Amino acid sequence: MQEKTGEENGDEVKMLEGHIEDLRAEIASLQRQKEELNRDSMLHFEGAMLDALLIVGGQTQNRDEETVMFKLKEEVEELEKDLHLQTEMNGISVDDCKIKTLFSSGREWTHQVCVSLQCSQMVLQVDFQITETKVGRGSEKKIVGLNVVLDSDELQNFSGFLSRVEESLDLPLLFRTLRNFSDRCDERSRTFQHFQETFPSVASLPGGCRSEVMVLRRPELPGCVLFIHWAVEISTEGTVVPKINLLTKLPEQALERFPSQPVGGAAEAFQSLLRMLGAEGAVESVLRALVSPVGGRSI
Amino acid sequence: MENTSTNGVLTHLSLLEVRALSRGGPEPQRSRVRELRGEAEELRGVRDQLEAEIRARKRLQELRSSADPPAGELLPLMRRHSDLKQRLHVHHLIGGFDAVRTRQGRAVCVFVQTAYEGVFLETFNMELELKPRVQIGRHNIPPFIPLQSLAEQSHLQTDAGAFLSMLSQHLNAFVGRRRQLQLVQEQHRSVEVMESNLLCSVLVLLFTAPPEKTALLCTLKYADLGSCLPGQVHLDCEDSRLPESPEWRSCCDTLRKTPLHRALAGMKKSRMIL
Repeated sequence: MQEKTGEENGDEVKMLEGHIEDLRAEIASLQRQKEELNRDSMLHFEGAMLDALLIVGGQTQNRDEETVMFKLKEEVEELEKDLHLQTEMNGISVDDCKIKTLFSSGREWTHQVCVSLQCSQMVLQVDFQITETKVGRGSEKKIVGLNVVLDSDELQNFSGFLSRVEESLDLPLLFRTLRNFSDRCDERSRTFQHFQETFPSVASLPGGCRSEVMVLRRPELPGCVLFIHWAVEISTEGTVVPKINLLTKLPEQALERFPSQPVGGAAEAFQSLLRMLGAEGAVESVLRALVSPVGGRSI
Repeated sequence: MENTSTNGVLTHLSLLEVRALSRGGPEPQRSRVRELRGEAEELRGVRDQLEAEIRARKRLQELRSSADPPAGELLPLMRRHSDLKQRLHVHHLIGGFDAVRTRQGRAVCVFVQTAYEGVFLETFNMELELKPRVQIGRHNIPPFIPLQSLAEQSHLQTDAGAFLSMLSQHLNAFVGRRRQLQLVQEQHRSVEVMESNLLCSVLVLLFTAPPEKTALLCTLKYADLGSCLPGQVHLDCEDSRLPESPEWRSCCDTLRKTPLHRALAGMKKSRMIL
């Protein structure tokens, strides 16, 4: 009797060991399937989402839909807070995004990402391909293709820079530059508005507070107009440079009467003021000169 | 009488015992079987769970693409969850910063991503304490990056965004300069790197120019730490006329405007250097 049990046990052990090997192989294959699904959709199901997924799949035992919904709502709230923080940090608001797997193998995968987003009041469509390669325990990411479409009035200003960015694949630079540009435009708008409020009789913004041009005139001399042209330029390397110029428009008779030096030299003199006093200081000087009674020093 | 029968049974028993022990015995066998049965059950559980998950994902796909999805809040809620996660992933890929709220909202841990020519390089992290006022906490930014001066320059207190932008620019520029140097060492072995500092803001290279293998010492100074391009390029040579030649002046110009490894590739192609 005991001998038989010994043999039966031996057989059972072998059978179980074989069964376990098969199970391990099955599990490995399922894991790979799951990983592929994860990579394709770029989504992992865990926590409340995993419970919800299984409910959807009909696996309702031990899962109370109400509890799962509650937990899921909590997670969604946390994610919304995270997204809000990210949006503020990056200065980017993602309107829509599509991610597709172009290529996937055990160690390397390539995704096509199409994002429409807003950055600094500009609407962009950014399409890029990103490849991730497993290296040791981590992975290396690399952008292998980039296309940027900017829907904005500033397009001309940006076109050189955008071509360069598409070549150099420098996505971080793209957004840094856009944020920089937006900050410089905000600065201009604030300064112009401030002066319009401080010197309402002289300064006006016919193009609105976001415009590049501020018009200055003395009410007593309607034909003589000064323009402050404040452009914000972007170099191909992504450097944002404000360029401010003083332009004059004077009637012929005025040009004949006044020696050209102070009038013709106004633009250059303004550049000196800029160097000495900065943008705000220089514009303020011009405005104060205009507001001062006639007979005061010309600019 | 008793002795003989007992002796016989005892002997028989001890014989059986010896035989049983020699076969490894049923006791250890039984516990091994129990062990294996337990393991098999556990593994079956894992396999069933995986299968259920994969089936459920396929089902979810079907429901999402169906023209007539079932009513109820669960699916839309899951949809919202996935959508938020995807947007966060996009931010992670392109934004340049990842931010995590810590200490019950009293601080933010910011991860600054760096990349050069499309290759994502290292991530630096820094904790920004928000209350009572904005302050830099723990970080792993190298000491040669002038963190404090950047904070002052960009008015960290009032404009954390400007500070982070400047920090990102400096870190990306540093990592970019370092990567350029790496590429030079990999791709242009004939060019010897004589000197470089930690910040990679000063480089001294030794060129060998054909046809007589003339040595030229090239010093590159990156005064603007927010840039990957040198502000100053200076050549030294025993023959002091050589650097003044139009070809070498043009090389200096290229070196000022083009990433180092590309500039050197161009110079090799036009046979200015070996």
